[in-house]
Amino acid sequence: MYGRLVRNDMAKSKLTTATTMAFIAAAAMLVFLALFMVVHLLGAIDNLMTQSKTPHFMQMHSGTLDEERLKAFAQKNSQVEEFQVLEFLNMEGADILLGDNSLISNVQDNGLCIQSDKFDFLLDLEGRVIRPKPGELYVPLCYFKDGTAKVGDRAVIHGREFRVAGFLRDSQMNSTLSSSKRFLVSQEDFEALRDLGNTEYLIEFRLKDLSMLGAFETAYIGAGLEANGPTITYPLFKMVNAISDGIMMGVILLISALVVAIAFMCIRFTLLAKIEEDYREIGVLKAIGIRVSDIKKIYQAKYAAIGAAGCVLGLFLALVLKDRILENIRLFMGESHQSFTATLLGITGIILVFLTVMAYVNRVLKRFKSISVQEALRYGTSGEPAKGAQHFTLSRSRLLNVNVFLGIKDVLARKKLYGTMLVVLVLAAFIMIVPINLRHTLESERFIGYMGIGQCDILINIQQTTDISEKAESIVSHLAKDKDISKFALHTTKAFKVKKGDGSEESIKVQLGDHQMFPIAYSEGRAPVSEDEIALSVINAQELGYKVGDVLTLVIQGRERAFKVSGIYSDITNGGKTAKAVFSDKDTGVMWCTLSVALADKALVKTKLSTLTKAFPFAKILDIEDYAEQILGPTINAIGLARSVAIAIALTLSVLVTLLFMRMLVAKDSHAIAILKSLGFTNNDLRWQYGTRSVFVLVIGFVLGTLLANTLGQGMAGGLFASMGAASFRFETHGLSAYVIAPLAMALSVFAATVLGTWKAGSIKLSENIKE
Amino acid sequence: MNNLIVGEDIVKIYGEGDEQRRVLDQVSLTIEEGEFMAVMGPSGSGKTTLMFALSGMDGLDGGRVAYRGRNLAELDERELSDLRRNEMGFVFQQPTLLKNLNILDNIILPALRNGKESAAQLTRKARALMKRMGIESLEKRDITQASGGQLQRAGICRALMGKPSIIFGDEPTGALNSKSAEEIMDIFAQIVDEGTAVMLVTHDAKVAARTQHILFMRDGKIVSELRFLKKNSPSLDQRLRLITERMREVGI
Repeated sequence: MYGRLVRNDMAKSKLTTATTMAFIAAAAMLVFLALFMVVHLLGAIDNLMTQSKTPHFMQMHSGTLDEERLKAFAQKNSQVEEFQVLEFLNMEGADILLGDNSLISNVQDNGLCIQSDKFDFLLDLEGRVIRPKPGELYVPLCYFKDGTAKVGDRAVIHGREFRVAGFLRDSQMNSTLSSSKRFLVSQEDFEALRDLGNTEYLIEFRLKDLSMLGAFETAYIGAGLEANGPTITYPLFKMVNAISDGIMMGVILLISALVVAIAFMCIRFTLLAKIEEDYREIGVLKAIGIRVSDIKKIYQAKYAAIGAAGCVLGLFLALVLKDRILENIRLFMGESHQSFTATLLGITGIILVFLTVMAYVNRVLKRFKSISVQEALRYGTSGEPAKGAQHFTLSRSRLLNVNVFLGIKDVLARKKLYGTMLVVLVLAAFIMIVPINLRHTLESERFIGYMGIGQCDILINIQQTTDISEKAESIVSHLAKDKDISKFALHTTKAFKVKKGDGSEESIKVQLGDHQMFPIAYSEGRAPVSEDEIALSVINAQELGYKVGDVLTLVIQGRERAFKVSGIYSDITNGGKTAKAVFSDKDTGVMWCTLSVALADKALVKTKLSTLTKAFPFAKILDIEDYAEQILGPTINAIGLARSVAIAIALTLSVLVTLLFMRMLVAKDSHAIAILKSLGFTNNDLRWQYGTRSVFVLVIGFVLGTLLANTLGQGMAGGLFASMGAASFRFETHGLSAYVIAPLAMALSVFAATVLGTWKAGSIKLSENIKE
Repeated sequence: MNNLIVGEDIVKIYGEGDEQRRVLDQVSLTIEEGEFMAVMGPSGSGKTTLMFALSGMDGLDGGRVAYRGRNLAELDERELSDLRRNEMGFVFQQPTLLKNLNILDNIILPALRNGKESAAQLTRKARALMKRMGIESLEKRDITQASGGQLQRAGICRALMGKPSIIFGDEPTGALNSKSAEEIMDIFAQIVDEGTAVMLVTHDAKVAARTQHILFMRDGKIVSELRFLKKNSPSLDQRLRLITERMREVGI
């Protein structure tokens, strides 16, 4: 009997059944894929790191190196199993040509290296250790992924010709998040190019017992060995490898949670509508002594059928898609050999989705207990007492149209009922506005202030070359003579030691020069003006523990000098760790120089750029907009995509939920609708009333969503930027998009869904709904 | 007297295929202006369906209904709604008041929709009607805070607000005790005295006895009718006896 009842019922409500099933299928598919990916990712990372024998501890170091001392340390330390020092020959992007593509605008630190003998192997796509022949170049996988190079391409590095023989997996630097990329060449080629790049050292250790890593790290630091560069350990390599795909899995899981929530709303609204439709029958069944659990079984059977069908469909889709989603993991990390476990876990996830759906259906069905036989038989609908808004009465309302009044009154009287719709609309407004404002903020001119650069037109960088100071001076004298240039400022970055509270010293990069000409965003205080002042980037201030007004000691040429912290500023470049000061120092070596240039006429940027580039080939000369674009471009694009997706999701969600909600409402209100129609209210009147309800909820939803976006959303985005070094982050609101177009789009969708959802109200039969 | 509503050969069918049932089978009748009429019959005889058909709340499967000469089938949904709002009033067995509104708001609602008078004017008018019905103290109450009889009076107030030409009552005393029922019938009698036609659907001979024109229905057909030409004679008891006899004769 259940089978027949369920079939009849589904045939009657094809659209809602299909929608619910589709969402359950989508949720099941996403949960499967996410879990499937987790297992594969972890397996593949383990495989890759085992095959390539990733170092347990690595210290990067630039400058001179005492290999004997390191060797002695390694021999003496009982934890060390193997030790080696690899060379990394850092090359300018401009000097690397792959096929027709130059890496000139590439932000990675690209460098050459040779295959290691002991561990930290660079692997080919089959997982084998690569042994390049002279003239062969193995290229990091990310350049295959982004289409920069392909096998067989001619490559030129500093004038020396190579052939791209293949791509390599690098268990250390695979991820685009790791800022360096290793190209593999033969020993012969490496020696030939050695003098043309900057050598950095990778001091690497494998330990007998990975759990002793902490103790080993302390021992290394305590021994005062080479440490001019970051230290990276095995767990960190693992995390960096996992993070890109990990974030994607997180996003998939988040989306599946959202989809499950939507499925729940579909179930809730359709089930409630069905209960309302069947209210009288349920009352009758209860009255004649049928047990509630028996009545519930009919509804449970229906949703068990929908849930099971959705889950099977989801599983099928997931099985079709699973290989595509693993493409990236397979490419960068190889196989995981965990297919069975992954599939098993995925199916467990799907079963969990099914059980959650059934648990939810049961929760909604608890309402059965509260069905009053008397009300069911008398009115055929549930008689929720109208609480609240007692003083909002028709007799006193002078201004409102009757239909508008009835719409608003209904929402006020049944707040709980409209709560679900409100929550969805708040959420929809939130997920629309945050990316709109975020993207606008990133695109705004002011944002460049967060990057530690003042607003200028052209930025000139002189680095990784010899005689930086002299070269900078030659540009300065050129600029001083150029009448098109309204102002410019030279900043010289030098490394000093900062003395910490415990007496230890740490390296700090200080930008020297005039910091007032091109002001940047200070979250506290102001730019340094006098010789004894210094400003710190947010992250430096936090890590070193200084506030505005504190005194900081720098060691300059062996002599200590005190500075007062004049301000703290946002900087998301250079890892967010910089400082600014105005004192003069002739003796310390220059790391790089930057010139900020403003033009009298902004239209001249392009021509000026090309003259300067021709005149000073050693310098990197950038249009500030291009520069911002290069650093923020991928983020802006990603957020742009997120914005489009968010808008699509928000509108679909609003339409869907409004549609289902309105259908439920019409079923629930059939008695009241019949009364109104008997009193001479037209279908148009009813549409106005329902439209008012929707628009009223939408307005509240949008206002709350906007408030939430500008507080919580801004806080979330701010937290993200703060972790990168930008303090006091504020949304630059795009008024037109955020407060005109977005609400209009939502209003239109919600209104259309309301009209569609309440269409049936017109055909409600008076005789069936008021007849005694 | 002029004809208010004329029904000719009205047919109403429920169900489909083999389960088709003629609920109204070629029913013809006339309601005159200011007439006090009752339709009697057992359950399922089609009396409520007839009321829905005459008021334009339900479409027909055959025949025609004309209100003051206008064929209802030719009116669109908006015109039918206007007609119900401006010319007709309804009182049902269960008080059909909206739960969201207090009693005063329920009473002025349809008249306010007409937009001819302000809320203040309508409130004054409603208060006068409520006073007449003896429910003036209830205006701010929720409908859950009033008895069935009180709600029925409120429903009558609402029906009278637009000064209708006819009030349809579907078992308006069906859910009330005998004292309340009698009071409600007194009110209907007053309404008729003021010139408004009233058509009541009932299976209670006592209710029918208060009217002047009684139709007897069985199986979707009008099988007999009774007319009392004078208002106060024959007496209520005699009328009651006549009605019961007629009911026995026609087998209802």
